[in-house]
Amino acid sequence: MSNQKKRNFQIEAFKHRVVVDPKYADKTWKVLEHAIHEIYNHNASGLSFEELYRNAYNMVLHKFGEKLYSGLVSTMTSHLKEISKAIEAAQGESFLEELNRKWNDHNKALQMIRDILMYMDRTYIPSNHKTPVHELGLNLWRDNIVRSSKIQTRLLNTLLDLVHRERTGEVIDRGLMRNIIKMLMDLGSAVYQEDFEKHFLEVSAEFYKVESQKFIECCDCGEYLKKAEKRLNEEIERVTHYLDAKSEIKITNVVEKEMIANHMLRLVHMDNSGLVNMLLDDKYDDLGRMYNLCRRVPNGLLTIREVMTSHLRETGKQLVTDPERLKDPVEFVQRLLDEKDKYDSIINKAFINDKTFQNALTNSFEYFINLNARSPEFISLFVDDKLRKGLKGVSEEDVEIILDKVMMLFRYLQEKDVFEKYYKQHLAKRLLSGKTVSDDAERSLIVKLKTECGYQFTSKLEGMFTDMKTSQDTMQGFYASHPELGEGPTLVVQVLTTGSWPTQPSATCNLPSEMSALCEKFRSYYLGTHTGRRLSWQTNMGNADMKASFGKGQKHELNVSTYQMCVLMLFNNAERLSYKEIEQATEIPAPELKRCLQSMACVKGKNVLRKEPMSKEIGEEDAFFVNDKFSSKFYKVKIGTVVAQKESEPEKQETRQRVEEDRKPQIEAAIVRIMKSRRVLDHNNLISEVTKQLQQRFLPNPTEIKKRIESLIERDFLERDNVDRKLYRYLA
Amino acid sequence: MERIDNVFYSYANKSSGLIDPEGIEALCSDLEVDHTDVRILMLAWKMKSEKQGYFTLEEWRRGLKALRADNVHKLKKALPELEKEVKRPTNFVDFYSYAFQYCLTGNEKEKQKSIDIESICQLLDLALGFQFRSQVDYFIDYLKIQSDYKVINLDQWMGFYRFCNEINFPGLSNYDPELAWPLILDNFVEWLREKQT
Repeated sequence: MSNQKKRNFQIEAFKHRVVVDPKYADKTWKVLEHAIHEIYNHNASGLSFEELYRNAYNMVLHKFGEKLYSGLVSTMTSHLKEISKAIEAAQGESFLEELNRKWNDHNKALQMIRDILMYMDRTYIPSNHKTPVHELGLNLWRDNIVRSSKIQTRLLNTLLDLVHRERTGEVIDRGLMRNIIKMLMDLGSAVYQEDFEKHFLEVSAEFYKVESQKFIECCDCGEYLKKAEKRLNEEIERVTHYLDAKSEIKITNVVEKEMIANHMLRLVHMDNSGLVNMLLDDKYDDLGRMYNLCRRVPNGLLTIREVMTSHLRETGKQLVTDPERLKDPVEFVQRLLDEKDKYDSIINKAFINDKTFQNALTNSFEYFINLNARSPEFISLFVDDKLRKGLKGVSEEDVEIILDKVMMLFRYLQEKDVFEKYYKQHLAKRLLSGKTVSDDAERSLIVKLKTECGYQFTSKLEGMFTDMKTSQDTMQGFYASHPELGEGPTLVVQVLTTGSWPTQPSATCNLPSEMSALCEKFRSYYLGTHTGRRLSWQTNMGNADMKASFGKGQKHELNVSTYQMCVLMLFNNAERLSYKEIEQATEIPAPELKRCLQSMACVKGKNVLRKEPMSKEIGEEDAFFVNDKFSSKFYKVKIGTVVAQKESEPEKQETRQRVEEDRKPQIEAAIVRIMKSRRVLDHNNLISEVTKQLQQRFLPNPTEIKKRIESLIERDFLERDNVDRKLYRYLA
Repeated sequence: MERIDNVFYSYANKSSGLIDPEGIEALCSDLEVDHTDVRILMLAWKMKSEKQGYFTLEEWRRGLKALRADNVHKLKKALPELEKEVKRPTNFVDFYSYAFQYCLTGNEKEKQKSIDIESICQLLDLALGFQFRSQVDYFIDYLKIQSDYKVINLDQWMGFYRFCNEINFPGLSNYDPELAWPLILDNFVEWLREKQT
């Protein structure tokens, strides 16, 4: 067995042609044809599947596939033609129902037929490039029913009519719609689109065009948007219920275009109800709706943003240039903060914190806050007010919130160096008068400024705090080493490092002898421990607490400025003093002296002095007396605090000049820094680099930069290139 | 060589050993040239003279040798040729720059860097008047009425020359203030444009 050669058994096909009796083919076909009839007549139960299958199989096997196929086509076609008539005959409502029913029947029949003819489907059809049975069945249905001249238009119109009715509020048979639409989809996306969708979209566009026109004439913006939103949602729902999912985007585009895009500008700018009104009235819902709808159309959000920006800029501009508002700096800044809060809310609640809107808000604020050159000063005054009293009793968290909001405004400032100057002045006054509500709050703000602007910005401010602390220690040391002074007037000295504090030229002032002796003692004590330093008394910045007795025995404790103290002390040795005498004795400069006397003689409730004549102005010939009739319901009376105030015009000019002067070296330093690292640079790039470097503090004027460049050329820091005039070169 | 020296000594101040302003004046009358004439400035340039109003022996030698003149007559004859030489574009920039620096006063330690407006106006007229008459006249007008600058420095001086060479006058169509022209010229152009409207 093992040695036997393996032999392949081959079964060979018949070597001779087997011709089947042609009558055999006819007979077989007749059987199948009959079966198809029966199937279409709902009589399939009497048929034998096995027999029919074999018949079909044999036909194909014996090369009669052609006959079988064409027979199928013609039989099916003739059945469909009859079905078509039946559908056409249906009246009114039953048209779609009939169509639907017949379609279901056809599918069932097709299924059975296909099963029977499966062998042909698998062999004859592919090799002869014929349409497979199932597909054939669909195509025939399409051509004979759906696209028959009598049905096609009627079908479309019926469907569109139903949609229209639903849109106008009627209830329709959605299930039926779904089935019919599904039929179209099954016939192929080309059929669905050509025979239905295309027209559906056109008709919808027309419908919404008309409707939107109607609405816009009679509705205000908010109402209109509600309606548009409603329609949009309806269409989306319609698609889920009975249309192809791919139609959703197409129909929503139609609604968006007709209802929103076409009327957008009119809506947004609508009088009394448009975007601006919604903003003014904080209509979050309406705004949110507008945002959602406009998002869907090209340039929708852009339009809203632009309108919001121009409105905000206009409002802001009015805010900062309104002369009424400018009278109270604290109110001014509070209004800015309120406006910011308002828009933060809107962007949060209605515009989903859209970053582009946040940026638009920032840009607008940056624009108008810098329209008023006093903004930096006012913000500093606001902070001053808060740190003096506004934050009393406020919790730590709330303090942080307020300071953070102020920092926001600060960031918008172009001239941050101007703010710094004022802040320093105001801080100095607060520190020296001991008037700050919370040390922690002060420090917290400094930290925030440092984070924002860098160490340089705040180093001097921190120096001021250090000086205060150090002075306390110094005072302790002074009194510890001079115990004999415990009996006399108490001296409190704050030693200020010149570079850190805002400079004020100190004027002449003759202190009363008791004070000057004490001051000298302090001076020698201090210089004893700090050789090489120079102390100069800033008599214009000090204050004093004095006990005073008046005519009827009233005693009061007066808190006065140093100048006022000097004047009052004179009255310990004289009953009557003329202006000239006072001036001579104290050597206080005239404008300050006049102000000081005014505050003590002409202000109700603070008139510890009496003046003859009783006029408001201080004249050179006036005489002064202690006001024996002075009364106040308080024991402690404060006269002439050194409170930070809005600057007068000349003071403002002076500050501005100083700021400008300070900028010059900063610009030059920036130029030199840049040129040192780049060695060679052209004019335009140099200007833009310098601007970039300085923008944290202020916006330098290109003309000013040019002046500084020329100054540096003159001083041989830079030179122009010989060949290319636009280039500058660094000279080491 | 000797002859050149002799001519020098005939004009020089006995005690200082230099030709001083008086001597120059005498020289000028012998040359039949006004002492404010630009050709004297050109002569100074040729000599590379350092101090305005004075010629040293070395400078004198340098100048006359270069001009191939050993007496006043020959020197006078050489002047037209010298003028032509200076006006050649390659030399003129050098001459123009020299003219400014020559007029600066002060010694090594405290060298002045700018020249007052009035002197600049005269110098401009002298050095550039023959070449750019209208620009010079307008600029002089402007310098006299503006108040931003009381003096002019070398950078501005050279800038003006480039201005005359490069910018259409009086159209000013190709002037671009965004470029690195000295600020005084930006202001000058603005003033001109205002006048034209």
